[in-house]
Amino acid sequence: MAVIAGALAIPHISYISILPELIAMGAPMVMLLWSATTRSGGPGRWTAFTVVASVAAFLASVEIWVKVGTHPYTAVAGAILVDRFSAFLSGIFAVAMGLFALLAHDWAVREDESGPELPALGMLSASGAMLMAAAGDLVVVFLGLEIMSIALYVMAAMNRRRLASGEAALKYFVLGAFSSAIFLYGIALTYGATGTTNIARIASYLASNVVVSNGVLLAGMAMLIVGLGFKVAAVPFHTWSPDVYQGSPSPVTAFMSAVAKAAGFAALVRVLMEAMGTLRLDWQPAIYVLAVLSLVVGGILTVVQRDVKRMLAYSSISHAGFVLAALQSASAAGRSALAYYVAAYTLMIIGSFAVAGHVGGPGDRSQDLSSYRGLSSRHPAVGFAFTILLLGQAGAPFTTGFLAKFYVVSAAVGNGSYTLAVVAMLSAVVTAFFYLRIVLGLYGSEEPSTPEGPPGVLEPQPALVGSVGEPQASHGAEERGSVVVPEVLVAASATQVIEVSEVGAGTSVVLALCAAATVVLGVWPSPLLDLAKAATIIF
Amino acid sequence: MTIPGSWYLTLAAVLFGIGGLGLLVRRNVLVMFMCVELMLNAVNLTFVTYARMLHDVGGQALVFFVLVVAAAEVVVGLGVIVGLFRRRPDATADDFHILKG
Amino acid sequence: MEQYLGVFVLIVLGALFAALSFTASRLLGPSKPTVAKRAPYECGIVPNLEPVQRFPVRFYLVAMIFIIFDIEVVFLYPWAVIYSQLRLFGLAEMVVFAAAVVVAFAYLVSNGALDWGPRKRIQPTVSYERTAETTLRRLPPGGRAA
Repeated sequence: MAVIAGALAIPHISYISILPELIAMGAPMVMLLWSATTRSGGPGRWTAFTVVASVAAFLASVEIWVKVGTHPYTAVAGAILVDRFSAFLSGIFAVAMGLFALLAHDWAVREDESGPELPALGMLSASGAMLMAAAGDLVVVFLGLEIMSIALYVMAAMNRRRLASGEAALKYFVLGAFSSAIFLYGIALTYGATGTTNIARIASYLASNVVVSNGVLLAGMAMLIVGLGFKVAAVPFHTWSPDVYQGSPSPVTAFMSAVAKAAGFAALVRVLMEAMGTLRLDWQPAIYVLAVLSLVVGGILTVVQRDVKRMLAYSSISHAGFVLAALQSASAAGRSALAYYVAAYTLMIIGSFAVAGHVGGPGDRSQDLSSYRGLSSRHPAVGFAFTILLLGQAGAPFTTGFLAKFYVVSAAVGNGSYTLAVVAMLSAVVTAFFYLRIVLGLYGSEEPSTPEGPPGVLEPQPALVGSVGEPQASHGAEERGSVVVPEVLVAASATQVIEVSEVGAGTSVVLALCAAATVVLGVWPSPLLDLAKAATIIF
Repeated sequence: MTIPGSWYLTLAAVLFGIGGLGLLVRRNVLVMFMCVELMLNAVNLTFVTYARMLHDVGGQALVFFVLVVAAAEVVVGLGVIVGLFRRRPDATADDFHILKG
Repeated sequence: MEQYLGVFVLIVLGALFAALSFTASRLLGPSKPTVAKRAPYECGIVPNLEPVQRFPVRFYLVAMIFIIFDIEVVFLYPWAVIYSQLRLFGLAEMVVFAAAVVVAFAYLVSNGALDWGPRKRIQPTVSYERTAETTLRRLPPGGRAA
């Protein structure tokens, strides 16, 4: 330690520039202390507290956005980059945190959990994601990645009564730890090759030194890509995601699919575009291959699934392919397409998993496609919102999903990657088939409402009618007062129906927000698009 | 004469490879955890070696962070395992088949 | 490389000695195994129960808590080395760090993670409504064999 000699420069820390992270880290501490001192009360107070903290973090992000303008600077001795990109993503993560708290509230009420753990871990995880987006140093990227991931491992295991939840957590943990180690080795090799882990200094080192076939550096870069590829679930590093998405509690899946992916992409932008922008000829082909594979595999495997959460997992893999295609173009258009896609995707996927959480019922049991049949006649509003969200994901016009896909494809074309653009469009068409299949199920196959016999008998595919879907249907029909249902059936299903058919308050708010944003921002695109452009204009 | 730094780097690469391979082929979850630890410590060795070669103390400071992160990761992993194996007889990854894949 | 010569010589000598001892005892010693000789312990009580394979979860819990709080101390060492230069800033930073750790500790204690010893709430093993009617199993005439 002889290197540290003489007076030590105490770093000046601008707390305002890391305020969103501080809020997201401090609020869980307060909540834990609160829960340690008072024992009474349900999950409502944690939800309220988390939503307040999310709003505060969002406002802090807005404050940074306004203040930083077009003059990015570094804070905390170069460890944090303060620019509009980090403010934009902090805002997204704050929104995701609040939506997650609302979904987690309904989940906690249903599963009879009253502890502060789930929202607290969600906030910690979001703080890690914010750190990743604002990182000015590869080590800070790593720390953010770990803060986010470790909290997510626990959140995936949150449903203690359900074996699949623990299994999902274990799978996520093993592969997550594997990818973290690979990412860390990539940092070490980059450090060895360039002599620093600071992103700005790596960039200036690479700009001033011509690196000719530097094996260590390229190996480091490859490992960084692999490590983050696991986090964003790009093919071929996607194998964990369907299992984990299926096994985790639905609110956690919503959070994980939105935040972990967005943070992974943010880190990819920081690492590849900012630190290694001069090596783009080396990383572009790798990202190109990942994008094509994700689009193809995600698109094809989506269609053959029967479990809706698995379907959404594969479709989010294909979304990852789109974002990678935007990243691959390495242009200004690609960057703003990436930011726009991430924002639109976050809202759509959280809303979609909110519906999955509602339909799944206690313990997320019924995720089979047949459980979604006739959802629109049971809950017209939920069915309508789900339709909007699915159409948005499919890329239907007048939704944010359409614009997002359009910008990605035009960025790919602008870069000359015509093949990639064609693959992306074909993948969009293939996955649209899957979304339409669910939507048709929501509306098309009306529940059996004939009074002649118990429902289910007249179903064209009796094998698909689950034991849960059947009584539900009967009760739904009975509720409308149009049919006479045998007494026995109603009595047998009474308890189940109460659990399944009430849409939680949090879920309703989340669905309304997500669906409204998907349509309104799709019809009137300029605000979000301008934000996305402004967020990525400086690099 | 001292041992050149590249030897340490090679050793670290070999350890990292052993850890990665072990993680992929071993079925016992606890052994898989040890393999993760091996990988992280191989990275630590790489950091320290480079810090020495580059005469930069930063690489050594990173090791602290990696150590703490590794401990946190293992604790969470053990917590997940303990939660899972209170209801299961044995600790092998092959037993997990509720979720296909 | 000269400075390591002694180590190498020692390693080689040690390996040679071990190999020699093993081969010598195998070649020279008589080998008449019996069941008693093959037992793990040639004297004492014959083990007829497998040792307990699974420890109570509480041990794991305490071990995990120990690991995580133990490793946090690692940050204190570099801080202590330059504490005098950091002055008030260093003190404030470490107080914040310690506060975070204390909050986690308070949470653990309040959740009973460190309650050692017998369980506080002992559930009655038998319900009070138990009667002979509910406990005894009536066998059919002719007894168990029927």
